[in-house]
Amino acid sequence: MASKTDRQTWETFVRRPGDLREGIETPVVLRDLTPGKQKYQMRHVVAVLSRDPRETEDLLRVRTVVGVLLPETWGLKIIRALPTELPGRPYHDFYDALRRAAVSGS
Amino acid sequence: MFSDTRDFIEALRAAGDLHEIEKEVHWDLELGAVSRLACEKDGPALWFKRITDYPAGITAFVNPMATWRRVAVAFGLPPDASLKEIYAEYEKREGRLIAPVTVAGGPCKEMIQRGADIDLYDFPAPMLHDGDGGRYLGTWDMAVCRDPETNWVNWGMYRFMVYDSLHLTGFPRPTSHLGKVFQDYYVAKNRPMPMALVIGADPISHFTASATYHIGGEEAALAGGLRGAPVELVRCETNDLLVPAHSEIIVECDVLPDCAGLEGPYGEYPGYRTGEMGNGIFCRVSAVTHRKNPILTVDATGYRDDSSTITALTGAIAIKHRLERHGIPVTDVNVPREGAVHLAVIAVKYGGKQMSREILETLTSRRALLSKIFLVEPDVDVYDIGKVLHAFSTKCHPAHGIHVIHYEGRANTLTPCYSQGERALQKGATALYDCTWPGEWSREWEVPVQATFDSIFPDSTKEKVLANWKYYGFKD
Repeated sequence: MASKTDRQTWETFVRRPGDLREGIETPVVLRDLTPGKQKYQMRHVVAVLSRDPRETEDLLRVRTVVGVLLPETWGLKIIRALPTELPGRPYHDFYDALRRAAVSGS
Repeated sequence: MFSDTRDFIEALRAAGDLHEIEKEVHWDLELGAVSRLACEKDGPALWFKRITDYPAGITAFVNPMATWRRVAVAFGLPPDASLKEIYAEYEKREGRLIAPVTVAGGPCKEMIQRGADIDLYDFPAPMLHDGDGGRYLGTWDMAVCRDPETNWVNWGMYRFMVYDSLHLTGFPRPTSHLGKVFQDYYVAKNRPMPMALVIGADPISHFTASATYHIGGEEAALAGGLRGAPVELVRCETNDLLVPAHSEIIVECDVLPDCAGLEGPYGEYPGYRTGEMGNGIFCRVSAVTHRKNPILTVDATGYRDDSSTITALTGAIAIKHRLERHGIPVTDVNVPREGAVHLAVIAVKYGGKQMSREILETLTSRRALLSKIFLVEPDVDVYDIGKVLHAFSTKCHPAHGIHVIHYEGRANTLTPCYSQGERALQKGATALYDCTWPGEWSREWEVPVQATFDSIFPDSTKEKVLANWKYYGFKD
């Protein structure tokens, strides 16, 4: 569990308003904002999000489909990791693949 | 002719078209911002010598051919060659193909990483714009793939984003040549597609990868013809593809037919970051080979980037040839830089409704990258945008002179004016603005006479005025 000192900041992208939901397990694509050579590395996870981040939670910044950073920062608790090589179809909606992977428990 | 990026850098230095930055610059936005501003100022190519988080010796060369001067240098022409001269030189050389030759080794094999040694973060892929989906390793690149049914090898310049140390996502459009080969063969058979991402080859090889070139055409042979010497190719380590031996970096990978990843959004060549995101391809890297002290080549993508010269140039010539093959009486074509490869100016001997429809159908039948066409008569210089705008403003009938074709499944999803819904369906339209006089109008009675010095005075008056110009007190 993250403490106040080691809470991490992540960023995600969403297609439309309302794609992120509070308090339930949600599949999310994250990129790591930790400074250094590996900044922006991507991860797929299932997480529970909150609109008011608690001190024990990681932070999640949200960007829109055109890359605009939204003003609200969410709280994020990672429940489990999903595979990097996510089963899905090329040239089709990545978010569908992410949702399917979360449901199938990949 | 240049065998690699390093030769080209030297030539640009000699021509005064290179700026070397010794001060440390961060790969995270700073490099992109410097490069973008330099591009918008029509500045020189940039060579970043010291990049934050990376050892000395790993450098980045940015905006290789984003001005006509640098295109001229790449072609071995004088740097101040005119646009018309560059177009003419390309048209002259492009019909002469020289097949590549295979060599046993080359500088791109100086360092080889496989398996656990692979780390894409060894290269300073920049975060080019704030809000992009990620760090783009592939911008000034060429993706090599082969159609196993025909053995056709395609080179294409497409964007590729670092996902983690071992994976890339990319967006060769579904209608691109790579997209077609991948979907028609590999996805259909659920097989991974071998691909090599080439970074920092000779400038003409990259030029051809960005060129509008026909399906089945081998860009490697086109590059040889344009260079006047064959491109030397060497075999990859983990697949049978051949890549330019003098390249800086080769990323060998498999494009997976059954995986998805987030790709984009990305500030693209139309000059905007559209909502094209999460609809690309996913690659697993199998090997990385590179030169010692590799130079990462980068296109600071956006308004007036490298595509505004090289894609525009090759697109214009391809449009001209395509129209000629379809019997259209075309005399000249220009794809102006400011139009971001969305606008073409086409001069024809005569226009009209029928001609407009034929041109629209010819240019949008397989994929439709253009969204606007100005159709003008041969007396309008297609390279003079002021004259083109004058013809559009005065000769295009606002009710009868605009022709539109609609299509689905082949539109350019990077076109900024399309909605997210249209993007998802690859749905779009191309408008043609007919700036020619109606063919049925009488030249004697109906066609307006242009009120310019060249058109509205008798020759004798013009000759007298020109002869006496200084006598009237003018200096020039």
